[in-house]
Amino acid sequence: MIISILHRLAWTLMLLTLQVFVLNQIHPGGWGAPLLCPLAVIILPLGTSRAGALLWGFALGFVTDIFAGTIGIGSAAMTFIALLQPPLLQLTVPRDSEEEFSPSFVTMGRWNYLRFMALLFLLHHIIYFALEGFSYFRLTDIAISMSVSYAASMLIAIIVETIRNPKR
Amino acid sequence: MHDFIERITAYIHWAIFLLLEGLSGFLLFQYNHYQGSIWLTQANIVAAQVHKWEAHILSYLSMPTENAELTQRNIILQYDNDMLRHELAKLCTDSTNTQKALAKTLHGMTLIPAHIVNNSVRQKDNMLVIDAGSADGIQPEMGVVSGTGVVGIVSQVTPHYALVMSILNSHSSISCRLRDTEYFGYMKWKGGKTLRASMDEVPRHARIKKGDIVETSGFSNVFPPGIFLGKVAEIHNSSDGMAYELEILLSTDIANLRHVNVINNHSKEELDSLLAR
Repeated sequence: MIISILHRLAWTLMLLTLQVFVLNQIHPGGWGAPLLCPLAVIILPLGTSRAGALLWGFALGFVTDIFAGTIGIGSAAMTFIALLQPPLLQLTVPRDSEEEFSPSFVTMGRWNYLRFMALLFLLHHIIYFALEGFSYFRLTDIAISMSVSYAASMLIAIIVETIRNPKR
Repeated sequence: MHDFIERITAYIHWAIFLLLEGLSGFLLFQYNHYQGSIWLTQANIVAAQVHKWEAHILSYLSMPTENAELTQRNIILQYDNDMLRHELAKLCTDSTNTQKALAKTLHGMTLIPAHIVNNSVRQKDNMLVIDAGSADGIQPEMGVVSGTGVVGIVSQVTPHYALVMSILNSHSSISCRLRDTEYFGYMKWKGGKTLRASMDEVPRHARIKKGDIVETSGFSNVFPPGIFLGKVAEIHNSSDGMAYELEILLSTDIANLRHVNVINNHSKEELDSLLAR
């Protein structure tokens, strides 16, 4: 169990590093940067307490906000998906799954996990870009930024998840 | 108790969620100039709208007081109007001593505001009750007026209430005159329509036309001169054919009244004695 926690912490640290030093510098076509940190909430195991998931999400969002200069935006979006991750995961996995069940391509199946990940990424990006744009008059710009960032984030997340859980 | 604690802990994540989102919101508006300025602008717009609603509600709540004040103001303006007309007439033609004496009495008058607490208009002898009585300085035989004109005459008083004989009472008889020609008579109500009354004893040689204004003459000392009663609606011959009987469209809708004022004429006794000479 401890190994599993350490493994997850290491991945989270790697995600944060990737986000802060690489992804924050990339703006495809001048639009929104890819946001990979939701993945650190998405991979929380089934037995995680809801309060724990919320605090984890908030803390991760806050750290990325500090480096991106978007104080409050990332933490709000990450807290929101941290609220939804446990019930969505319970809906997706079999009822008799163990508490240590951790979502991934291997444990959930490629399509199930992709849908689960895509939904949480989408909700995160909607909240994030709505707060960042914060205007009714720039809806088109906000939508384009969100779509570009969402596509790039999903692509990178799929690559990262493929590396994290290679086919045996 | 154990059950209760379990239930609380089952929903504690909602409290944590709201707390963390609230904290995120605070950080967002505190440390991001763009979002902070938009938030401030929108908050100001919302606050201004709320203040506007508050002002509307408060002004609506203060309407009864304002109505009472307007009623009183209207009566005073009617008065001033009459005074000015008389002053103008005096400048054009010489006035009699009696007219001068009457004009002087207008100054020695106070208005006592009151609300109607009971009213009737469907009977032959209608009365109404107001919420001011002898404790407020009201006495029998005082005139009662509203912002639109004459209402009635105080009949009986108790310390806090007064019974008023409405102009819609078969026993009511108000001394009145035609504004332009100064021909006077008595206005009576003979039942029926609540906005119609009749004025008797108008001489045949008087020049009258529909629409002429009928007002109090001031001869009875109950009402000062110049308070509206209504307008001439129809001109009929009296039963003996010796005079005109005018049908008057009353200016005051007694069925739709709330605020009235009782006229306390301090010079009433003095004026009575003057007219008795």
